[in-house]
Amino acid sequence: MLELAIGIILGGCALGAGMAMIAGIGPGIGEGNAVAKACEAIGRQPESKGDVTTTMLMGCAIAETTGLYALVIAILLLFFAPGHFVNILINALG
Amino acid sequence: MPKIDKTVKNETIYILYFEIVLSAVMQSVFLIIGKWDLSVLLGNLLSGSAAVLNFFLMGLSVQKAVEKEEKDAKKIMRISQTYRTLFLFVIAAIGVYFSVFNTIAALVPLFFPRIAIALRPLFSKKNNTDTQNGETDEK
Repeated sequence: MLELAIGIILGGCALGAGMAMIAGIGPGIGEGNAVAKACEAIGRQPESKGDVTTTMLMGCAIAETTGLYALVIAILLLFFAPGHFVNILINALG
Repeated sequence: MPKIDKTVKNETIYILYFEIVLSAVMQSVFLIIGKWDLSVLLGNLLSGSAAVLNFFLMGLSVQKAVEKEEKDAKKIMRISQTYRTLFLFVIAAIGVYFSVFNTIAALVPLFFPRIAIALRPLFSKKNNTDTQNGETDEK
């Protein structure tokens, strides 16, 4: 019974980590669209390349933070949470 | 090796400065609460350098992408983002898995570039002046 409970905990953590990483898809698409639009803007006004690149870099970094949050949650679920939850379970069972 | 754009260089240096300042603040907090040891410093060094490198690589990707067609630019950024996320995953996993690195100190510095960007408006006046000077020099 204990093995089953531990298996459920480990499986839940792995599933949670995988689901958290779905958020990693968004920044890739967002950054791609931002850069595509920036290409368009630079094509129209080549003299504004520096300003557009600066703004875009900042925008990309902000967009990427969402992915980072998901990444940290996934890492914690994979490496930190299983041991913690198993300890709680063992303590509860005595 | 392609020439690094001046904007990418300047922005990376800006992020690097902030990373150093915020890392110092984090180390001070650990010292004040009495939890400082070598693992905190090592964790901070690991993820701090990874965060700056990640930003620099993103800058290089952007520099490469803006010279391409719209469709190729999208593709370049998506591929770059995938590899950079994988890179950060490995760094964060190393920071959490090995006890030689403090877990919190290995995860928090990854968000410092975001804080640096949030604080950017405070320094924007100075940076605008620098950019204008840079443009004058180029001309």
